[in-house]
Amino acid sequence: MVVDFLQTLINGLSAGAAYALLGVGFTLMFGVMRRLNLSYGATLMFGGYLGALLAAKAGHLLPSGALALLAAVVTVAGAIVAGLYVERLCFAPLRGRSGVAAMVSSFAVWMQIEQLAGLLLPLHTNPYPAPFDLAPMNIAGLTLRPEHLLTIVVAALAALLLHRLLTRSRFGLALRTLSDSEAAAQAVGIDARRVTLVAFLLASALGGVGAWLVLASNQQVTPMFGMWSTAKGLVAMMLGGLGSIPGAVVGGLLLGLVEAFGQALFGPQVRELIAYGMLFLVLVVRPGGLYGRAGFDLDLAARERL
Amino acid sequence: MTTLQVSDVVTAYGKIEALKGVSLSVEPGSITCLLGPNGAGKTTLMYTIAGILRPRRGSVRFGGSELVGETADRVISRGIALVPENRLVFPQMSVAENLAAGAYLRRDHAAVASDLEALLARFPALKERRTQLAGTLSGGEQQMLAVARALMSRPRLLMMDEPSMGLAPLVVDQIFRIVEELNRDGITIFMVEQNAHMALKVAHRFFLMEQGRVTFAGSPDEVAEDDVIQRAYLGSVKAP
Repeated sequence: MVVDFLQTLINGLSAGAAYALLGVGFTLMFGVMRRLNLSYGATLMFGGYLGALLAAKAGHLLPSGALALLAAVVTVAGAIVAGLYVERLCFAPLRGRSGVAAMVSSFAVWMQIEQLAGLLLPLHTNPYPAPFDLAPMNIAGLTLRPEHLLTIVVAALAALLLHRLLTRSRFGLALRTLSDSEAAAQAVGIDARRVTLVAFLLASALGGVGAWLVLASNQQVTPMFGMWSTAKGLVAMMLGGLGSIPGAVVGGLLLGLVEAFGQALFGPQVRELIAYGMLFLVLVVRPGGLYGRAGFDLDLAARERL
Repeated sequence: MTTLQVSDVVTAYGKIEALKGVSLSVEPGSITCLLGPNGAGKTTLMYTIAGILRPRRGSVRFGGSELVGETADRVISRGIALVPENRLVFPQMSVAENLAAGAYLRRDHAAVASDLEALLARFPALKERRTQLAGTLSGGEQQMLAVARALMSRPRLLMMDEPSMGLAPLVVDQIFRIVEELNRDGITIFMVEQNAHMALKVAHRFFLMEQGRVTFAGSPDEVAEDDVIQRAYLGSVKAP
């Protein structure tokens, strides 16, 4: 009973850690732009496809450790390049203009990238290199997959680094001012375009790391990964509250835990049902999300001041 | 000398020209006040000078160098800081972080730290609330913070857009006292102000803008003499 609980807890945390990274990526982009990038998941899938392509073309030439490492690098780099493409194409030209147009154009790029992935690797399921050749460990009845531990550790490290970057660096200051008030950021001379671009690439890098962790655990990538990671990241962000980075971390972990416990208690067929049910409830009870402040609260605060 | 010279500036939002050829100058060491009704283009002029809006034509020179075409950060680096309309502090950041953001373009970290302490000493209300979120401050405190934030860039010219708007009379007095102090310290002040009574007490020179044009320029005495300004901004007809 206790063992089952702990096992589910670990499963939930490792899934949640990856969701948290995706949610933080969405939050970074939303925070500086107040725009939704629907192609986020697709850009991460593109990175994953490059990793799988590498394995398919050069997998037999490399030792498995080097292949795993190279796949990680290629995945993150691919996500960054695809993110750059989306920012330049969908968001930079529409800056200060229609948010809906930017969102819809990012949807079009999603379809574009999905097609491209199909051209690169036509099969639906493609093998993705595993991070190590280790069998699951058995400790006191618990089954610990090394990939799950890797996910938890790497995600925690990434969150810590991001926190330091945002609170200690000049770029972090600029990013926080921009997500707080763009008009005020302009008044103190912050270049919103440049900061937005860097924030976008940072989100792509974090998402690329998250994608690598998930794909390396699954040891496969399909075109559905774009949809999947967009959905998970969006839910994590909305649970936490639009624009709050700690909120996105909590939202991601909560989503992972609820999915894992839902599955353990009621079976895999209701896993998603329970997750979306929870999102529904949270949004009904607290429309701004658990850490909600941006979006709803900011508008409210602005109206109060006037 | 660092005169601000605005010549024939036209700034438009799409097809609508908010500034239809504005020319004026702000003398170094002065307190210069810009009067005018809502929609006259006063804020547009401030944003144009600050490099946030691009004019369609015209020139803005400060101390001999052209500012039109420069980005907002370059304008700040040349010594012009803006205290925007409605204060525009960073509501979700602490008072200290707001001030740090004001020094965003500066690289002399030691001097920034000492400036921050000096400003907190000058504005004791901010010092008490150093770690408080700016959005939770009162209107007057937010205005102090917006001024202090602009000062963090060590400006030679401080542009203030309606600093007294929506504030209680006692706080307005305080703001104007600060304006005079800053001016005595050698900072040129260019302010938009609706409160002409207060402005008359401190400013050395006035401009009136109406519908995108400068329609009057003069000293405080000339403002007091002018019937139109009397009626529109001082709310009384001059005694015969």
